[in-house]
Amino acid sequence: MTTVSIRAPGISPPATTKARRRIRTRLPAAFALLPTALVVLVVYIGCMLWTVRLSFTSSTLLPKLDWVGLAQYSRLFANDRFLTSAENIVIFGALFISGCLILGFLLAVFIDQNVRGEGIFRTLFLYPYAMSFVVTGVAWQWFLNPGLGLQKLVRDMGFESFTFDWLVNQDMAIYTIVIAGLWHGSGLTMAILLAGLRGVDEDLWKAARVDGIPTWRVYTSIVLPLLRPMVVTATVLLATGVVKLYELVVAMTLGGPGIATEVPAKFVMDHLFERNNIALGTAAATIMLIAVVSVLAPWVYARYVRPQGRHA
Amino acid sequence: MRLKTRVSAYTLSAALIWSSGALSQQMKAEVLHWWTSAGESAAVKVFADQFTKAGGTWVDNAIAGGANARTAGINRMVGGNPPTMMQFNTGKQFDELVSNDLVRDVDKLAQAGKWRELMPKPIVDASVREGKFFAVPVNIHGQNWLFYNTKIFADAGLEPPKTFPELVASGEKLKARGIIPLALGGQPNWEHNLFRAVLVGHGGADMFRKLYGARDQQAVKSPKFKETVELFGKMRGLVDSGSPGRNWNDATALVITNKAAMHFNGDWAKGEFIAAGQTAGKEYGCALVGDGGGKLVIGGDVFVFPTTKDKNQLATQDKLIEVLLDPTSQIEFNKKKGSIPVRMDVDVSSMDVCAQKSHAVLKDPANQVEAMELLSTPNFSGAMQDAVTQYWNNANMSADAFIEKIVGAMRDAS
Amino acid sequence: MSAVEPHGRRPRHLTIGRIGIYAFLITAALFFLLPLWIMIVTSLKPMDEIRLGNIVALPTAPTFEAWTKAWSSACTGLECNGISVGFWNSVRILIPSVVLSIAAGAINGYALSFWRVKGANLMFGILLLGAFIPYQVFLYPLVRIFSMTGVYNSLLCIVLVHVIFGLPTMTLLFRNYYAGLPLELFKAARIDGGGFWTIFLRVILPMSTPMIVVASILQVTGIWNDFIFGLTFAGRENLPMTVQLNNIVHSTQGERAYNVDMAATMLAALVPLVVYFVSGRWFVRGIAAGAVKG
Repeated sequence: MTTVSIRAPGISPPATTKARRRIRTRLPAAFALLPTALVVLVVYIGCMLWTVRLSFTSSTLLPKLDWVGLAQYSRLFANDRFLTSAENIVIFGALFISGCLILGFLLAVFIDQNVRGEGIFRTLFLYPYAMSFVVTGVAWQWFLNPGLGLQKLVRDMGFESFTFDWLVNQDMAIYTIVIAGLWHGSGLTMAILLAGLRGVDEDLWKAARVDGIPTWRVYTSIVLPLLRPMVVTATVLLATGVVKLYELVVAMTLGGPGIATEVPAKFVMDHLFERNNIALGTAAATIMLIAVVSVLAPWVYARYVRPQGRHA
Repeated sequence: MRLKTRVSAYTLSAALIWSSGALSQQMKAEVLHWWTSAGESAAVKVFADQFTKAGGTWVDNAIAGGANARTAGINRMVGGNPPTMMQFNTGKQFDELVSNDLVRDVDKLAQAGKWRELMPKPIVDASVREGKFFAVPVNIHGQNWLFYNTKIFADAGLEPPKTFPELVASGEKLKARGIIPLALGGQPNWEHNLFRAVLVGHGGADMFRKLYGARDQQAVKSPKFKETVELFGKMRGLVDSGSPGRNWNDATALVITNKAAMHFNGDWAKGEFIAAGQTAGKEYGCALVGDGGGKLVIGGDVFVFPTTKDKNQLATQDKLIEVLLDPTSQIEFNKKKGSIPVRMDVDVSSMDVCAQKSHAVLKDPANQVEAMELLSTPNFSGAMQDAVTQYWNNANMSADAFIEKIVGAMRDAS
Repeated sequence: MSAVEPHGRRPRHLTIGRIGIYAFLITAALFFLLPLWIMIVTSLKPMDEIRLGNIVALPTAPTFEAWTKAWSSACTGLECNGISVGFWNSVRILIPSVVLSIAAGAINGYALSFWRVKGANLMFGILLLGAFIPYQVFLYPLVRIFSMTGVYNSLLCIVLVHVIFGLPTMTLLFRNYYAGLPLELFKAARIDGGGFWTIFLRVILPMSTPMIVVASILQVTGIWNDFIFGLTFAGRENLPMTVQLNNIVHSTQGERAYNVDMAATMLAALVPLVVYFVSGRWFVRGIAAGAVKG
């Protein structure tokens, strides 16, 4: 681990002056971080505590600060919609993140083969990211609908027994959300990883060619490890998208068929805004927060909090 | 009640700030509502034009989606910058606005205008809290209409069904002819709307009220309810496989394009037929299904008036109320909105046949059934919606299991 | 441009491998284009044709009516002026929000990765966790905070909100990027007696173009498409274009014009698309300059 020492080498003033000097030189850095620190304290920590506090109340349309203990939590865990939501987000999260990384990486690698029309391909893979899902979701919904889209088209071509009804099938509907999610998110992953690929040293390729290592081996064993920071950044971005997954579901299935594609963020939103049940909504948000913290905290701690200063 | 005093303190201080700016502008009204489609826009224009004619300035603030608009409105009330008038839902949703003194009591105007005599009782009850009017209803929407394709029924030699068992029987015949018997927007709220249509039609108004209003567990465990639930379950067979997730507009389109025979929806669905150039009574018909000629489940839109101490704003609000309930604006507004006037004393002969039918049905108070939104909390309605959508989408879920879920929702939901 | 030249093997003529590469890319492109195709053909059809439900079929008589309507005459409430109404509001929200949130992210990232400030990493950890909370949960308390400080419902308010919610990702991006820059550069600048701001402005910022472009793409997309913050915090005078877009596509009980919906969505996405297209070059070339090599 590399750390920066903020001190010109060669000069060794007495210890106390040194310490004071260091504090003085670091002061601007501390000041620069102050606004963010305030925001973290007031907005992030403040709102998190407020959310947790409300989950112990009986608030409905407007927040009120009474105390009902864990009543909302016992309701929450008896609620099969919430349990289905939790299960769905795990399925979606695993498939979406790994799918985006794999597809994004493949697209990036293939685009990186000196292809013609690279700019066009790149823009094509990235455009879904720019579009609001409210309406692109309708296009997906039509395409996946057995009476309108793919199934009908293939049957019209003469394959009478062709069936593709995932959207309306309770067991498969969540996977249609994954498909649309991949469509939406893998372009951004591709862009981030492509940027990383372009940074790989030319000499490395030459060396690999001289040694006669096959291209795919170079990608998997040498290039991929080099892309680590990019993969981390992409994964974090994708993961925040998973936790906040809402629009996509609303636009495509509205949680259906039945409750088959419900997700936690939708549970929170419905209860906060549609059902005037702030207490249960914030209880669900609290559980989401706890889940995220318990998955991420060890990683964030090991990677970002414990190491002082910079690290590669 | 610390929050309550704090909230009213905000509104008060906000009202003062608001008023100092508003004094110079005579009768300027900012109106927050969620009517944004072409048809709805034409309807709002009726009110806005009338208000302008009366010397006011209408500042329009439209936000689609009731939840978005309500949230924005409530945030603005809490943030101390409320609009002059704001659309809201009748029923339990605005209980807390009233108990937190966020909205104004308009009972003086209600008494002067004899609202209690002119409007159907369910609508009055929905707008009255603590014996006073806190909301101004502007229209009545019937929620359980059956829209049917007249050509398909004529071709099949069938009459539009009068009861639900009849509906299932004719549905099977239509299905055999290769027609989708029932077009359904397979989203939880429309599935739930269909369930309520069956409940009020087959189970009866009393059972409807016992479920959504009294949350009477005994009523839900009665044989009649089970029969209703099973009948509702049978209707799964009348819907095409593409139904789940479909928007209601796409379901209506199936009836318009002669692909489907029947469609349950609120009277707002007329807007789609009108947009497609069809006329009520010609290409499509509307009917109430149920024993004894059918009851009409009614709800509607209301406006609330955020509390203010400013005399000018109060006068502006009074003027707005006058405009909303003026007989001419009532007729013109409701023609465009697809609903019927909230006043039963206006002449509806210039409206379409479905609207006239609504008006006639409602003349008899026994036919008036208050909508779920008026009877139940949004939370219980939501819990019911979760139960209904699970039952509807799981063909192998038993009626008893569904009833068990309803009982659970009755117990748990606040 | 030689600087963007890709690495890897560069066969000169069409081999089976090359055909495979193009086959993969074209198949992928078709998958990505599918919904866009549906949206485009739908936007060129009149509603009567759409109701028939042939979603991928070409329009029998293409018309641009829906596009002009979406831009300038679709109803969004009392007024029927399409989505063009909020265009400049969106621009006015976008520019300061993007500039400030990127500046904040760059300064934070720089302070975090080159300077040792006590507790800074803990702060960053919490910030990062904050990125995982659905921000709708924050709405109510934020409204209260802003109305207490008197900036509620203003351009300043909405810009502040975007900056606040951009902090986690922006800080992460720049922090990870700077972590890859050669440390020697910074050390040399210190020896030359550069202070915190001098080093940032003279040394670090000029090397940040690639990340600034990445950050712009993220922020332009996010802020341009934001609906809920704009609605809640911007005030009636500053409502962004997405509010009109939502009013067109999201009416609960009103009749629905899908052709206009589709056209409006594509029109609303034009600004981020232009940003992608224009910045694509730097985006890729820039990162290569240092992100991974360092």
